[in-house]
Amino acid sequence: MGVLLVALLVVILPGCGRSRESDGPVVLVLKHAKILGPVDPIPRLLAEFEAEHPGVRVKAEVLPWSSDEQRQFLVINLEGGRPGFDVMMLDCIWVPEFAKAGWLLDLTPGVSRDELSAHFPSAVEAGTYRDRIWALPWFMNVGLLYYRADLLARHGFSPPATYAEMLEQIRVIRAAEGNARLAGYLWQGKQYEGLVVNVLEGLWADGTSLLDAEGHLFPDPGRAEQVLRFLRMLIDTGVSPAWVTAADEESTRRPFGNGDAIFLRSWPYAADLFERRESPVRGKVGLAPLPRHVAEWPAPGSTGGAHLAVTRQTRHPVEAMELAHFLTGPRAQRAMTASGATKPTRMALYRDPELVRNSPSLPRIHDLTLAGRSRPVTPYYVIISTTLQPELSAALVKVKSPARSVADARRRVEFFLRDLRE
Amino acid sequence: MTGGGQVPSLARAQRRARVRGLLLLGPALVTLGALTLYPTIWVCWLSLQRRMPIFGVNRFEGLGNYVFLATDPRFWKATEVTLLFTVTSVALELAGGVLAAVALRGLHAGSRIALSLLLLAWALPSVVTAKLFEWLYHPTAGLINFALGGIALNWLGDPRLALPGLILADVWRTLPFVAVLCYARLLAIPADIYEAAQLDGAGAVATFTRITLPLLGRILMIALLFRTLDALRSFDLMFVLTGGGPAGTTETLTVYAYRSLFQAVQLGLGSAVGVVVFALVMLVAWAYLRALRRQGLAA
Repeated sequence: MGVLLVALLVVILPGCGRSRESDGPVVLVLKHAKILGPVDPIPRLLAEFEAEHPGVRVKAEVLPWSSDEQRQFLVINLEGGRPGFDVMMLDCIWVPEFAKAGWLLDLTPGVSRDELSAHFPSAVEAGTYRDRIWALPWFMNVGLLYYRADLLARHGFSPPATYAEMLEQIRVIRAAEGNARLAGYLWQGKQYEGLVVNVLEGLWADGTSLLDAEGHLFPDPGRAEQVLRFLRMLIDTGVSPAWVTAADEESTRRPFGNGDAIFLRSWPYAADLFERRESPVRGKVGLAPLPRHVAEWPAPGSTGGAHLAVTRQTRHPVEAMELAHFLTGPRAQRAMTASGATKPTRMALYRDPELVRNSPSLPRIHDLTLAGRSRPVTPYYVIISTTLQPELSAALVKVKSPARSVADARRRVEFFLRDLRE
Repeated sequence: MTGGGQVPSLARAQRRARVRGLLLLGPALVTLGALTLYPTIWVCWLSLQRRMPIFGVNRFEGLGNYVFLATDPRFWKATEVTLLFTVTSVALELAGGVLAAVALRGLHAGSRIALSLLLLAWALPSVVTAKLFEWLYHPTAGLINFALGGIALNWLGDPRLALPGLILADVWRTLPFVAVLCYARLLAIPADIYEAAQLDGAGAVATFTRITLPLLGRILMIALLFRTLDALRSFDLMFVLTGGGPAGTTETLTVYAYRSLFQAVQLGLGSAVGVVVFALVMLVAWAYLRALRRQGLAA
């Protein structure tokens, strides 16, 4: 009997998991992160897509919650060679990397110039690598400054254009309000991607950048040290609470949302949360560009967001591209914006009367996004960022001097990239 | 199955039994081999390569990755963090677990409720525990700073406090495991031993050190083994709470391996770190098992 059982297993097992090709419907698998908000707009959109494309069925599968885990899932499955999905959501910083790895289908032939021009240029740039389009922009993010409009108005201030102005406003307001809980300026200093974004915005405001044209880290090390010294100063002087060195988006959004801070650097998602009915700061929050270091230099916020890409191994490239087009199209992006979860990459939607009625900050966010800048679009971005994170954190918490951490970061990145640059 | 009328000889029966045994074991052996042996060998092989699939780099490098690690401050920092975390958290868990078990046994009423409460901490998924502690440690809104009299300790953002903070969270989460193991053993110790000790005039301390602790010895060794192996591989708490920061002060070897493998996609380097963790775990397991066997022989 045992022999029989084993023999049976040997015969059956390899057969499992092998799906039979048949004349049934084309089934596309879409991998995306959960879209937050009161209603998930995805199921309805997919139903619409299926109705318009008879013979095509879409199975949506939700990726893990955190960006790190999503990346892990995608990398393992794509590197394995048989991903088991056709369309996937990508954080915009992964697109060039995945394209270089040969995991993505080149979408260039199916995308017209007109279609691209409807999106923010920085979003299109993030989906472009070596002049080819590898992913279509799906939703958008930009770094911006939230301020307590009521507090500023009470003390006769307008939103600060420079950091010097902001520091002065914080000093005056805190002295006058006499509220010990009121923090000055909140930002994200935890050892993670968000810290790199905060430092990057500091570099831009200081007139320099993270990478030069040849891809070398910190082309102006002196300026980079200056940015780190400035962030340290914010903590040392109590402008920012010491705990920002462990803070991410949510742990800074909450105190600001409770009315315990004057300024917050964050992303657009927080705007609607501050205007909820039960929010203590409802009607009291303004949106402004990030402060400048020098009045003449711009201080763009970093753009971010997600794209949709098609796996190179897909068995249904035409249908998969159709789906990516549909989901990044005006109708789908409108539905997603209406659900309150994401901001569109299509510029026209920021002026849509109905959307603006529900989310009055949209036109403002449009202008801030348009002025934003994308993080370096390079396949090496994630290597650079993960190498930078502990070094930047070390400078913030004074384990290393800014000069030492900048030098160490440069050395490590050079080592990892020594024979990779094209 | 033996449908024939003839009775087979003993040797033949034995041989048939052995073959049948192997066949029945077969699926398990194949599964084990496929799931543990094959990946282990594969990771060792990977660790000898410079392999970054995204950049099309795939070549044999011999011990290059290990040479790099030998001079890599981030690797040594991660090793230090891993060892410090393991030694401190396991020591605290064992001490706390024994005390909790003794206290449980001493309870007359409510031991069931106490046990359930204790197990709750153990049953929570570790990511939930991490999220819980994220709030407990919050510098202004957290319960811990509030209980400490409202001082604003920057638990997770201060390089001196982050690791102790993680150790505390780990102790809270896994102390129940040790406590329950010890409690079960304590219940099996006959009450007359304690009565005899009492008659002989042994105090509470003497009873504890002379009777309770020696009788717990073997179960404590097992708890020690499990906990040490777990702690050496610890990942989730630091990953969720601090991401390894600030300044890498809570980055364990597994977090470093993870960052190399799945974020930077440096499969060779990440595998090399993985092999180091594997070697460390095997070494500890071997040492403990040897100690256990000795103890077994002595007992």
